[in-house]
Amino acid sequence: MSSDPERTDATPARVRVTAPRPGSAAASARPSPHPGTEAPTSDIAGVYVRSLIRTQLRLGVVFAVGFVVATALFVLAIAFVPELDATFVLGVPLSWLLLGIGVYPLAITVAGLYVRAASRNEARYRSLTEDE
Amino acid sequence: MNAAIGYTAIVAVAVASALIGFYGLRVSRTTSDFYVASRTVRPWWNASAIGGEYLSAASFLGIAGLILLTGSAALWFPIGYTAGYLMLLLFVAAPLRRSGAYTIPDFTEARLESVWARRVTSILVIVVGWFYIVPQLQGAALTVRITTGLPAWAGSLAVAVIVAVVVAAGGMRSITFVQAFQFWLKLTALAVPVVVLLLALGGTEPALPPVEAFPATAGPGDLEVYRTVSLMVALLLGTLGLPHVLVRFYTNPDGVAARRTTVIVLVLLSVFYLFPTAFGFLGRAFAPDLATSGDADALILLLPDRLIPGPVGDVLTALVIAGAFAAFLSTSSGLVVSLAGVISQDLLGGSVRGFRIAAVISSFVPLVVALATESTGLAGSVGLVFAFTASTLCPVLLLGIWWRGLTARGAVAGMLTGAVLSGTAILGGAAISAVLPGIRPFLEQPAAWTVPLAVLVTVLASRADRRGVPRGADAFLTRLHVPEAARRRRPV
Repeated sequence: MSSDPERTDATPARVRVTAPRPGSAAASARPSPHPGTEAPTSDIAGVYVRSLIRTQLRLGVVFAVGFVVATALFVLAIAFVPELDATFVLGVPLSWLLLGIGVYPLAITVAGLYVRAASRNEARYRSLTEDE
Repeated sequence: MNAAIGYTAIVAVAVASALIGFYGLRVSRTTSDFYVASRTVRPWWNASAIGGEYLSAASFLGIAGLILLTGSAALWFPIGYTAGYLMLLLFVAAPLRRSGAYTIPDFTEARLESVWARRVTSILVIVVGWFYIVPQLQGAALTVRITTGLPAWAGSLAVAVIVAVVVAAGGMRSITFVQAFQFWLKLTALAVPVVVLLLALGGTEPALPPVEAFPATAGPGDLEVYRTVSLMVALLLGTLGLPHVLVRFYTNPDGVAARRTTVIVLVLLSVFYLFPTAFGFLGRAFAPDLATSGDADALILLLPDRLIPGPVGDVLTALVIAGAFAAFLSTSSGLVVSLAGVISQDLLGGSVRGFRIAAVISSFVPLVVALATESTGLAGSVGLVFAFTASTLCPVLLLGIWWRGLTARGAVAGMLTGAVLSGTAILGGAAISAVLPGIRPFLEQPAAWTVPLAVLVTVLASRADRRGVPRGADAFLTRLHVPEAARRRRPV
């Protein structure tokens, strides 16, 4: 079964893409070569697309602001608790360790949550357009 | 330091990179292989390759040096370098992959339907790339001078030549393998010495008591708000416009894979940056005498031998030298690939031969600049390149992806504004603040005001040019945001 050369769904075939030349315009990036696949075919389709873009933008902004605010609060907390400067772990003040390590788990968590939410938005869009 | 260790480590990394590069050459024959590895690269490979490409001299040597030199303010650099990928994930990764463009100039041309916008973007990409390669070559000069005793220029020259040869011979396909290998090499080269040093030093009395090594005046409580905020703006948004990082997203199979790749990159970088940070802390406690601006960047190279003299120290030193060279080679070659892509498409007809010529040009211009100038701290110089990128390429990319109303005139006006403002602050900052000392912080960390101004000019100029909105804008935005699966399923 795995030797079946027709199994193109599971293993995407190597796509030959030619280098676009200036002047002839970025041919591969032009949204025209497959009619019906990109341009919204009706007003309804356009509405769905615009709403998808707005939803995804709002999602990105909410997550970005959330990350920045959480980081700022974390840093202010470190800065305003002087005891953290006086507590030493392995010879390094706790405040330095927290700033050096603490933001990364936050970034990874935000990233993981975002990917799930963004995929959910796209799944909702797909189910809407299939109902059409 | 024993020069033989330096030579051995440097030659070993150069040979390994070249071998993997030439091995990759056998599968790299078509034009598309040269540019984007035919879009078959898997997320883990791709993420390792992005990490390999991204972790430059600034990350490998510069951060530890800056922690030693300035204290906890330096911890913001790795935070920003990592969180930049969060911004990339939130706003750029999937749409950019779906755009189907190879490079940022391709993207602007297709989005804005303007050859002019493309030309301006190309020039900016080339400037960013060249100024990003310079600190890599300066890091190589420092490493060669400290570890072998050879003159510093030999290091810059060696890296430029190796990069030109490997890129011209193999293109991107082989570079993907090289980059992925170099990420894991760099991680090992810092992780193993840190673990061994911590084990060996357990209980040893540090050179300075902790209270003096980590004074509260250099700690997180002493936050310079403007500088920190401005640095974060530069690093978070600058990552969005880095040409060598963005080109990697075209090698993902689809938008969803591009997102997955970005999350893996975040994890890889978070793990990696623990180790330069640990080196910086060790340096403050055990080698405070290295805290002079010329030598601080060499902390990682000097510390193992100093703390564990003898064969174990020698092996660890060889490892960090190898890692440092991997950092210079991988970042420079990633940049040269993307620059060569841009230069050859715009000037040399997009052929494989043009790509090779462009690769050689892209390696040697920064070499001349590196030889003519002196390093002023690796982390800081790379930070300024991020500020320039954030002020020029980032606004166009973000608005191009999310705002229908962007026009070619708006984009060009915004890019030029950002380039002039941040370029003046970076190049002329020292001279201007000699006259006006009050504005020194604003010139040393310009991103907090140059980025908003560039965005503002882009938006206002686009608004004034409403008729200039490209006819294909809606179709292009649809293409950027609609998931691939839905596109395929739609009836033709």
